[in-house]
Amino acid sequence: MNASAQPLIRLDGIKKVFYTDEVETHALAGIHLEIAQGEYIAIAGPSGCGKSTLLAILGLLDTPTDGTYMLNGHQVANLSLSERARVRNREIGFIFQSFNLIGDLTVFENVELPLIYRGMKAAERRERANAALERVGMAHRSKHLPSQLSGGQQQRVAVARAVAGQPSILLADEPTGNLDSKNGEAVMDLLRELHRAGATICMVTHDPRYAAHADRSVHLFDGRVVEENVGAGV
Amino acid sequence: MGIFRELRYALRSYLRAPGFAAVAVLTLALGIGGATAIFSVVDGILLRPLPYPEASRLVKLGRTTATGSMDGAFSAADFLDVRREGTSLVHVAGYREDISDLTGVGEPVRVPGVQTTAGFFDALGVTPLAGRVYTAADEARGGMAVISEGLWDRQFGRRSDVVGSQIRVNGIPTTIVGVVSASVRHPIKADLWNLAPGAVPTSPIPSGGLADREVQYFAALARLATGATMGDANAQLQAIGERLGQQFPETNRGESFHVRPLAATLVTDVRAGLLLLLGAVACVLLIACANVAGLMLARGLARRRELAVRAAIGASRWQIARQLMVEGLVLAAAGGAAGLILASWGVDLLVALAPQNLPRLGDIQLDWRVAGVASLATTAVGLLAGLAPVVQSSRPQVNEDLKDGGRTGTSIRTRFRSGLVVAEVALALILMIGAGLMATSLARLRAVDPGFHTTSMAAVDLPVPQSRYDGPAQGRFYSEVLGRLQDSPVTARSALVFPLPLRGSGASAAFDIEGRPSTGRPAQPIAELNIVSPDFFQTMGLRLVRGRGLASTDVEGRPPVVIINERLAREFGSEDPVGRRINLGDWITVVGVVSDARRESLAAAPQPALYLPYQQFVLPYMSLVVRTDASEAAVASAVKSVVRELDPDLPVETVRTIDQIVEASTDQPRFRTTILLAFSFLAVLLAAVGVYGLMSFSVSQRTSEMGVRLALGASPGQVGRLVLRQGLALAGLGVALGLAAAAGGGRLVASLLFDTSATDPAIYAGLAALLLTVAALACYVPARRAMRVDPMRALRAD
Ligand SMILES: Nc1ncnc2c1ncn2[C@@H]1O[C@H](COP(=O)(O)OP(=O)(O)OP(=O)(O)O)[C@@H](O)[C@H]1O
Ligand SMILES: [Mg+2]
Repeated sequence: MNASAQPLIRLDGIKKVFYTDEVETHALAGIHLEIAQGEYIAIAGPSGCGKSTLLAILGLLDTPTDGTYMLNGHQVANLSLSERARVRNREIGFIFQSFNLIGDLTVFENVELPLIYRGMKAAERRERANAALERVGMAHRSKHLPSQLSGGQQQRVAVARAVAGQPSILLADEPTGNLDSKNGEAVMDLLRELHRAGATICMVTHDPRYAAHADRSVHLFDGRVVEENVGAGV
Repeated sequence: MGIFRELRYALRSYLRAPGFAAVAVLTLALGIGGATAIFSVVDGILLRPLPYPEASRLVKLGRTTATGSMDGAFSAADFLDVRREGTSLVHVAGYREDISDLTGVGEPVRVPGVQTTAGFFDALGVTPLAGRVYTAADEARGGMAVISEGLWDRQFGRRSDVVGSQIRVNGIPTTIVGVVSASVRHPIKADLWNLAPGAVPTSPIPSGGLADREVQYFAALARLATGATMGDANAQLQAIGERLGQQFPETNRGESFHVRPLAATLVTDVRAGLLLLLGAVACVLLIACANVAGLMLARGLARRRELAVRAAIGASRWQIARQLMVEGLVLAAAGGAAGLILASWGVDLLVALAPQNLPRLGDIQLDWRVAGVASLATTAVGLLAGLAPVVQSSRPQVNEDLKDGGRTGTSIRTRFRSGLVVAEVALALILMIGAGLMATSLARLRAVDPGFHTTSMAAVDLPVPQSRYDGPAQGRFYSEVLGRLQDSPVTARSALVFPLPLRGSGASAAFDIEGRPSTGRPAQPIAELNIVSPDFFQTMGLRLVRGRGLASTDVEGRPPVVIINERLAREFGSEDPVGRRINLGDWITVVGVVSDARRESLAAAPQPALYLPYQQFVLPYMSLVVRTDASEAAVASAVKSVVRELDPDLPVETVRTIDQIVEASTDQPRFRTTILLAFSFLAVLLAAVGVYGLMSFSVSQRTSEMGVRLALGASPGQVGRLVLRQGLALAGLGVALGLAAAAGGGRLVASLLFDTSATDPAIYAGLAALLLTVAALACYVPARRAMRVDPMRALRAD
């Protein structure tokens, strides 16, 4: 099959219901969404509209209650636990709002970790991790522990960790949420650069300025897509 | 390849946060080490098979008396009948412990010895180290001895020509025919086994020879015949017993015979105590497991976010599980190694503390099987608990863990961990109560007034070999020794007695009171039989209550007399016993009544007792007691020089103080108490670690909550009390459960307690309060930490 002929991601009628103490929360109420290879898409919307839930489903961290999810032409909504871990490892790179580096591991080891889980040989791992650290400008800190870095630096390491495995798509949930505007800018610049180099990115953000960086922004409200507009792009 | 990296990561993370690792390793070490040490001792004494081929087929013969009590002693005729008719047994052999004075090899030495009939070694199946053992073919030849490896070393320099050499045993010319290894240790750790000159061992007291059924004085063992079971042998012996009962009603009515596995007969006395200790081990092991589980659960909780991140970047469950297992195994290895070191120290310590009269003490060594089981148990529990986060991640909640940093959903595991801490506290209290009861019982036992002087008293056994001393010679020897000792200032106040009190030995006799119908054997009154010199009562501090004491004129040829104690005087009712006669085979006149004294043990109330003058009823087993302020060494040298003058071939045994004898009589309860105290200390320590661990974890999880409370105006004291209250609520629950369980289980230890109720409320309440105090102390550090939370930092955190 021709990769460009089909979208990288295709969501159809994705629903997510949380059941808590006899209350049903319909976090996602039938999402249809396509993301093309190489696209940079922003997801925006008010708090509680389901952005993080959508991202978790896209990243196979959570399963939808209903609907189909095609990734690279494969149905992935109902894979087994171990298959999901494998897909996450190869196809998806995560960037979290709160960085989520592992405190016991050095910068280099954090970046290397997904490659270890993939079972890659040490030499290739070193090469790729170093290249990723170069890209985010953190190679000189590879022996440091996360606690010895600033927030902005930690997020850059997290970006390096996300891209080291050359995933099909980068998922970022408010990557600038814990950063001041200067550091936030720097991380956004980094994402834009990655996009220019061909990366597919899906980013959740509150900030309309950052949403404008994207090719396209999707607005959610109450678990539904209410608006899609083509952004400024680059 | 991944294992080494995981190992490195694990080591690094433990080094960075050594507190967790230290507590976990310590817990593992204490649990594994303590359990292994104690179990090794229990196993060595109770469970390990005897060191003889097919040892499970070795049996000890026993006799059930008409009153239903079990007895291992046989009379000559009964033994010979059982041996002849008991076809389900082979190599039936009789034996009795006997002093053995060796001469003809340098200084005379007295060694622990056993006199046996010819089949003894055939029954045990012993292969000698050198020479041969005597066998059934040597029946009744006498004059042959087998010596121990130890004696071969000490006395003969391990020379091979010891076999065939001539010595004298108790004055009788004897040939050493062989040497057996140190593992031959029946019925005692003897140095010499010598062959009886007749079909049965020689009797220490006058008896009717091979036809005698009155005097039961030696033990018997045998091997089950090929194809025969324990049941066959018992049925057969019972039938023999019944037939003898009909044929000889005078002596045998109501008696029967039985067999028991030899190994089981060696440990009857200590079994209850050892099982109690085993229970203590199980408690400590459970507490250790609970602690390790709690620690691992807490660590898993604290790491949920990290594990979620790993999952998000594509780690499979197996990869995460492997990381956790490597971490767990690193701890287990460290804990196991430390535990083994503790265990080997512990075994040495226990063997050193153990009373020397524990059977099979020499068989004890570190038990690798137990070490393995204990290590496996704690490690498995640790690993399982450590894997809890992975097990839980089978539900797709990675997302939640990422979002909340591992804070929600913690309550259920915290509740489980709280449950573990409650259980730990309960188990610790059970152990404390066990130890408390034992300690109270021991203290009360030691406070018992035995009825005689215990201070400034020395004692030494002075048995003489019958082979060289007939009855009159025994009397002459003892009276000479006593007379000469009383002439010397150090030993001026000396007396003779058989037996020394509180050594668990001694004879009893059934008797009739003149003028009352004789009731016949089972219902006849029984009294403890003592043989003393006239000065005994004064020397030992027994008061004369009525009549006269013994006089130097109460000798052979004069009318036989006896002194009784107050307990026995009560048998005479309102009548004055002085001047009455009792029948002990012959008629003897009661001339006086003395105060009661304990003989069998401190725990046993004084029994009716008879005191016979040694010059009318001498035995070759007299002991000497001396009231003196001089040292044991001074007494020893005085006794030695007197004995050497009279009989240079007679060795003198170690002089001990009566205090030491009293002390030794409480060896077993003291051993139990010491060990239980050590265990309950360990248990309390572990439970305190558990409470501390849980509360510090809870505080660290609730830092922001504490911050909010402080920000809302709670005083630090209020926040601290919050933590304390939570900890004490758990401890209180544990204490309540522990009290209930201890009250329920108290019956099990009741038989080991002296003058102490197994449900003594004062002990229960005191120890509960103590444990709650310890729990409060364990909460103190986390409570302080909660009080010091900076409200601003807490609110900013997350
Ligand atoms: N584990 C859960 N259990 C129950 N309800 C949940 C759970 N996770 C999310 N929700 C609910 O689903 C809805 C969507 O939540 P989601 O986290 O996706 O919102 P969001 O758009 O990311 O909001 P924000 O911008 O504040 O991060 C909310 O109403 C939330 O309360
Ligand atoms: Mg969100």
